[in-house]
Amino acid sequence: MYVKTGIVAPEFNFWVGLVMDKFYDGLENKKFIGNKCSKCGKVFLPPRKICGDCFAKAEEFLDLPETGVVKNFTLANYNVNERKARKLKEPINVGLVQIDGADTAMLTKILNINPDEIKEGMRVKVVWADKIKGHPKDIKGFEPIGGE
Amino acid sequence: MEKVGIVGYYQVKPDLDAMMSPPDMIFTAVRGALDSAGLKRKDLTTVIGCTNDYYDGKTISNAYKVDAGGAYMKDESKVEFDGAHAALYGVFRILSGNHKLAMIYGYSMPSCFPYETARILELDPTFDRTISLLNSYTAGGMQMRAYMKKFNVSIEDIAKVAVNSIKNAAKNPSALPEAQLSNISVGDVLESEILSSPLRKLMYPILCDGTAAIILAPEKQSLKITDNPVWITGVGSCQDTYYLGERNLSISTSMEIAANKAYKIAGINDPKKEIDVAEIFGHTACEDLILAEAAGLCEQGNGTSLLDGGSALNPSGGTMSGLTPCACGLTRIIEATKQLQGEAEGIQISGAKKAITTGQVGFCAQNNIIYVLEGGGN
Repeated sequence: MYVKTGIVAPEFNFWVGLVMDKFYDGLENKKFIGNKCSKCGKVFLPPRKICGDCFAKAEEFLDLPETGVVKNFTLANYNVNERKARKLKEPINVGLVQIDGADTAMLTKILNINPDEIKEGMRVKVVWADKIKGHPKDIKGFEPIGGE
Repeated sequence: MEKVGIVGYYQVKPDLDAMMSPPDMIFTAVRGALDSAGLKRKDLTTVIGCTNDYYDGKTISNAYKVDAGGAYMKDESKVEFDGAHAALYGVFRILSGNHKLAMIYGYSMPSCFPYETARILELDPTFDRTISLLNSYTAGGMQMRAYMKKFNVSIEDIAKVAVNSIKNAAKNPSALPEAQLSNISVGDVLESEILSSPLRKLMYPILCDGTAAIILAPEKQSLKITDNPVWITGVGSCQDTYYLGERNLSISTSMEIAANKAYKIAGINDPKKEIDVAEIFGHTACEDLILAEAAGLCEQGNGTSLLDGGSALNPSGGTMSGLTPCACGLTRIIEATKQLQGEAEGIQISGAKKAITTGQVGFCAQNNIIYVLEGGGN
């Protein structure tokens, strides 16, 4: 047990499991790895073990590109951390981005754009973090593709 | 479905910081519900609590609430959020024929835990929780944007829904005092702080301490206890996928499916005409609309029409009258019960005969439950 800034937290780690481990492996190589439902062909990113609709395993893994479209977005004025909701000094653009070839969208930041200019359907590409660690935070966010 | 009667209830007045211990809160509600029905603890055959391990900071959080909940040496179980689901557990027990009297309570004290942080623990730890972008505010913001875009609804219209609820709360003696703003305007809502665009602070409920309890009984037993029971005549629940990136946030398919099941059981053919009162558990003013529409009270995207007529939307103020996690779904049932008994002091909808109440779990109302309640005693 350790104590920091007024909270007590038990320290432990757990493995993310076979499916997300492949996703994390992909991030280590700056790649998106999704998977596909064996029945309906739906492509999940982040990948997932079971397709709820078909009740079938998604066993085929596939590489997906670094580009996609913005499906939804919000300008967040708060960050919720392990103690409470705190007001951000600088609001951040949070969005759902659907990578080309995937059928589900993933949460990410939308970067390098004025919040008023973000539009649903806008094409974006990934911005990788400077230091890659094989972790979801390797995805720094997504930025608009020029000319769109 | 055989009718299940609501024969007693009690709400501990919501408070930002109740200065009561959890056993005090639960005891007050359970004792109050028994007294409201003229019953004794020995009459109870089963007790179902709704609490949450994260909110209480311990696992098996019902274990130390046995005595306060009236469950000592009785059949007892627990549901983890929402109280409306605990009530469903109670309905099952009554309909099994094995129980004559079920106490259902829901409790939490957000003054003692950071609610928004506790919700983070609902998130997928392998992705969403790790990147710290999804929370009640960002989820509510994206849901609201999806709804407004899909149905071309203005932010002013959503603000009107918030104003309607807050003004109703101002007239509701059971509302959180801090939520009672009788002079609130659309402008006030629009100018309130942006939590996560386009979601404003005054479109989001105030979290508060509270406890709600109801007592359920089979039809015959209900009529022995009271001459004015309210009947549960239908119930439906449905679960969507967890992943927001896979869901259409502008509608609630899970509520639509749940409502259709409940209406079929209750014999409701046209909810628009037959439902007088709707007590909806929405996490934002916009979600109230999405859920009311999915429950068939009006056409999709046309929820604001409920402010001009049709089923009364949240006469109690809904969650804008103060939101107590775990108790909220039961509070909606109690508010509708008062309406159907003609005892909704200050907020009575004249001639209310049928009502719906809802409960939910998860981000953007992943899981929904809906009850059809009918008044009229015997």
